Amino acid sequence: MAVKRKIIKERVPTPERPVEERIHDFKEVNLGYTFELAVKEAERCLQCPYDYAPCIKGCPVHINIPGFISKLVEYRDNPDKAVKEALNVIWACNSLPATTGRVCPQEDQCEKNCVMGKVGDKVNIGKLERFVADYAREHGIDEELLFEIIPKIEKTGQKVAIVGAGPAGLTAAGELAKLGYDVTIYEALHEAGGVLMYGIPEFRLPKDIVEKEIDKLRKLGVKILTDHIVGKTVTMEELLEEYDAVFIGSGAGTPRLINAPGINLNGIYTANEFLTRVNLMKAYKFPEYDTPVKVGKKVIVIGAGNTGMDAARSARRFGAEVTIAYRRGEEDVSAREEEVAHAKEEGVKFEYFINPVEFIGDENGNLKAVKFEKMKALDERDARGKRKIVGTGEYVTLEADTVIIAIGKHPNRLIINTPGLKVERGKIVVDENLMTSIPGVFAGGDAIRGEATVILAMGDGRRAAKAIHEYLTKKREGQKANA
Amino acid sequence: MPYRILEKKELAANHVMYRIEAPHVARKVQPGQFVIIRAFPTGERIPLTPVMWDRDEGWIVLVTFVRGKTTMKMANELKPGDEILNVAGPLGNPAPVEKFGRVLAVGLSAGIVEVFPIAKALQEAGNDVTVLHVTPWPMVILEREFKEAVSRHLVEGFDLQPGWGAKEIVQEISRSGAERVRKLLSEEHFDFVLTVGPAGSQKAVFEVVKDFGVPMHADLHPIMVDGTGMCGSCRVTVGGEVKFACIDGPGFDAYKVDWDELIHRVGFYTDMERRALEEYLKSVRGE
Ligand SMILES: Cc1cc2nc3c(=O)[nH]c(=O)nc-3n(C[C@H](O)[C@H](O)[C@H](O)COP(=O)(O)OP(=O)(O)OC[C@H]3O[C@@H](n4cnc5c(N)ncnc54)[C@H](O)[C@@H]3O)c2cc1C
Ligand SMILES: Cc1cc2nc3c(=O)[nH]c(=O)nc-3n(C[C@H](O)[C@H](O)[C@H](O)COP(=O)(O)OP(=O)(O)OC[C@H]3O[C@@H](n4cnc5c(N)ncnc54)[C@H](O)[C@@H]3O)c2cc1C
Ligand code: SF4
Ligand code: SF4
Ligand code: FES
Repeated sequence: MAVKRKIIKERVPTPERPVEERIHDFKEVNLGYTFELAVKEAERCLQCPYDYAPCIKGCPVHINIPGFISKLVEYRDNPDKAVKEALNVIWACNSLPATTGRVCPQEDQCEKNCVMGKVGDKVNIGKLERFVADYAREHGIDEELLFEIIPKIEKTGQKVAIVGAGPAGLTAAGELAKLGYDVTIYEALHEAGGVLMYGIPEFRLPKDIVEKEIDKLRKLGVKILTDHIVGKTVTMEELLEEYDAVFIGSGAGTPRLINAPGINLNGIYTANEFLTRVNLMKAYKFPEYDTPVKVGKKVIVIGAGNTGMDAARSARRFGAEVTIAYRRGEEDVSAREEEVAHAKEEGVKFEYFINPVEFIGDENGNLKAVKFEKMKALDERDARGKRKIVGTGEYVTLEADTVIIAIGKHPNRLIINTPGLKVERGKIVVDENLMTSIPGVFAGGDAIRGEATVILAMGDGRRAAKAIHEYLTKKREGQKANA
Repeated sequence: MPYRILEKKELAANHVMYRIEAPHVARKVQPGQFVIIRAFPTGERIPLTPVMWDRDEGWIVLVTFVRGKTTMKMANELKPGDEILNVAGPLGNPAPVEKFGRVLAVGLSAGIVEVFPIAKALQEAGNDVTVLHVTPWPMVILEREFKEAVSRHLVEGFDLQPGWGAKEIVQEISRSGAERVRKLLSEEHFDFVLTVGPAGSQKAVFEVVKDFGVPMHADLHPIMVDGTGMCGSCRVTVGGEVKFACIDGPGFDAYKVDWDELIHRVGFYTDMERRALEEYLKSVRGE
C-alpha cells in the first residue's frame, strides 16, 4: 500500500463488566465496542491485500476481513452507512456474525497470523465483527439489507427439509431460502438455535441475539417446526417423499460419560444437562421458572474445553466454589483464550493432570467426593500433537457435591439410526459435496465432524446449500427435459 | 408450536384428562411411547403418556396425576380452547406387543394411565390380559375403558387415612400391590408381567414377581429434560450398563434394572419441587 500508516501497537480494549458484579448474574460479560472505539481498532488494520491477507486464510469461511474493516474507517462520518457496507461484506460469507464474533476461537483462526502481531497486538477481528452485527441489529440495518434481498428471490418451486436448527441447519436454511427454495426446519427441542440456545450461556451469547437471527430466517420464509424429532415424529423416508432434498444438521448431542463407578450418583450432571437446565430452561431464575438445578457448595467440572468453561462459570454464578479438573496440562486446554481468562478472573480454580476413577456417594446416593488418579505427561505426542499422558498409580480424593462432566459429545443417536445412512464411528459419512450415502440427503456440522465449532458448522451449512442448489438445479432441468 | 386443548375433564380425584390437537404425534404414536410437553412460558418440560389417540382426527389424550407445580398449574389454569405451548414426540420405544399368553398388567397409582394403551394392544395381539390397578379408592380411573379393552380388570383399592401424605400413600401402594400380585401369581399362571408406577412400588412388585420367575417388563420414570438422548438426566443402570431411558427405554427388563439407584435418582429434586409448589400455592392464594 502506498499510504504510509501509523502503527498503533495496542488493541483498543473492549469494556467488560467487573467480576464482582458479573458473577452474580447471567448478563453478558463483554460489552463490545462503541462505533468510536470500533473505528479506532479498525484503523489499526494494515489492510493487507486480499490474496495475501493471512486473516482471510485463517477464517474457515474466508470473510474478506480487511474489506469489512476498511468500511468502518472509510465511512467513519456516517456510522449507519459504514455498518451497512461492512455487513454486506461479512454476509457474503457468514450469516451469523453476532454469534461468530463472540464465540469463534479467533486466536486460532482469523487472528492467528494477523500481520499486526509482528509489531504489536493482533487486530481484534472478532470484536469488530461482533460490533458490525450488533450495531446493524440494534439499528435495523440488517433487516434493511434483508428486505433488499427478499424481492430479488426467485422461487424454484422445490422443497428442502432441514433436520436440526443449530448453526449448520440455520445457515443452510437461510442460504437455500435466498436461492428460492421452500425450506422447512425440523427441530426436536421447543426452541431453535441448537447449542447456541441450550449450550452456550447467556453471559457469553445473549439468547435474544440468537432469537433475532432466527426471526430473520422466518422473514425469508423459512418454516420452523419445533417439537418434531426426525426418526420419531417423521422418518427420513417420509421427508424424502415430501421434499426434493434434505440437509441433516443434527449436531453432536450425545454426551460422553466417564466409565467409572458411581457415575449415576445424584449430583453428577453431564454438561449438556446442566447447561440445558440453566440456559434453555432458565433454571437460574428458579422458582420463577419451573426447572430446578442443584448446584452444591463444591463443584468439580471435568474437562477444560469451551463446555467446561461454560459449566464452571455458570456454577460460579450460583455461588459455588468451582474447580476444573483436567487430565492433561495447561498447555492443552482447548477452550477459547478469552473464556479461560474470564474463568480465572471469576475465581474458577484449575487442577491439572488428574483423571477421575471413582465417584463416591453417601448412603442416599448423593455424591460426596471424587477419586482421581494423578497423571503425568510423556515427551511423546499423539496424532493431535498433544503430549501423551499416563497414570502414575497415585491417587487424590477431592470433596464435591456436584460434578459436571464436560469431556465431549458424540453425534445424536436418533438420526444416525436412519436406514441406509452410512455412519462411521458415530459420524455421518459424506462425500466432497456433503452428500450422504442416501441420494438427495446432505449433512454437515457436528453430525459429520463430531464436536467442532460454530463457524465450521456454518461453513458446512453454506457449502451444503450450494451443493443442494446444484443438485436440485440438475433435477429441475432433468424434469424439464423429460417433460 | 402451540397445540389446542379440545377437551378437559377431571376423571377422579387429582386425575385430569386433556384431549389435545397434536396431529404429528397422533399419526405416529405407539403404545409405550410418550411425549414431552411444556405448558407455560416459564414452565418445565415434563414427560406424559398418550393414553388414547385418533390418527385421522389428529388428537391425543393425556392424563395427569396432579402432584406438583406443573400438573397443578395445568389443572388450575388451562381450559378447553387454550393451547399447550409444546408437545414433542412421540418419544421412546414402543412396548413389546408380542404374543405372551396370559399377561398381568399392573398399574401402580397413576401408572395405570400408561398401562392402558399397552394392555389394550396386548389384548388385541391375542393375549389374555388381566389389569390390576392399585390405588386409593377415590382415584380409580378408566374403569369402563379397561373393561371394554381387556379380559379382566381388577382394582386393589384402599381408603386414605387422615394425616397420610404422598409418602404414606406410596408405601401403601407398594405394600398392597405386592401382596395382591403375590396372591394372583400363587393362584394363577401368568406368562408375562408389566408394571408402571412409582419406582419404589415397582421394585416391591418386582421382588414378588422374581420369586415366581415370571418375565417382567417395567416402564421407568426417571427425570427427563429433552427426551431425545441429549442430556443424560434419564440415565438408569440396566444389566450393569448405563442406559438413557428416553431413547433406550422407557421400558426395560425388570430383572436387570438397578432399582435402588433409580429410587435415589427420582428423588433428587424433591425439596426444590416442594418449594416450587408451595410458592405457586401462595401466589394462587394471593399472598
Ligand atoms: C457448551 C458449549 C460451548 C461451546 N462453545 C463454543 C465456542 O465458544 N465456539 C465455537 O465455535 N463452538 C463452541 N461449541 C461448539 C459448537 O456449539 C458446535 O460445534 C455447533 O453448535 C455445532 O452446530 P450444529 O448445527 O452442527 O449442531 P447443534 O448446534 O448441536 O444443533 C443441532 C440441532 O439439531 C437438533 N436435533 C438433533 N437431532 C434431531 C432430530 N433427530 N430431529 C430434529 N432435530 C434434531 C438438536 O436439538 C439441535 O437443536 C460449544 C459447544 C458447547 C456444547
Ligand atoms: C416416560 C414417562 C411417562 C410419564 N407419563 C405420565 C403420565 O401419563 N401421567 C402423569 O401424570 N405422569 C406421567 N409421568 C410423570 C410426570 O412426568 C410427572 O408427574 C411430572 O413431571 C410431574 O411434574 P410436576 O411439576 O407436577 O411435579 P413435581 O413436583 O415437579 O415432581 C413430582 C415428581 O414427578 C417426577 N418428575 C418431576 N419432573 C419430572 C421430569 N421432568 N421428568 C420425569 N419425572 C419428573 C419426580 O418423580 C418428582 O418427584 C411420566 C414420566 C415419564 C418419565
Ligand atoms: S467468522 Fe470467526 S474466524 Fe471468521 S473472521 Fe469471524 S470471528 Fe474470525
Ligand atoms: S492480517 Fe491483520 S492487519 Fe492484515 S488485513 Fe488482516 S486484520 Fe488487517
Ligand atoms: S431425557 Fe435427556 S437424555 Fe433422556
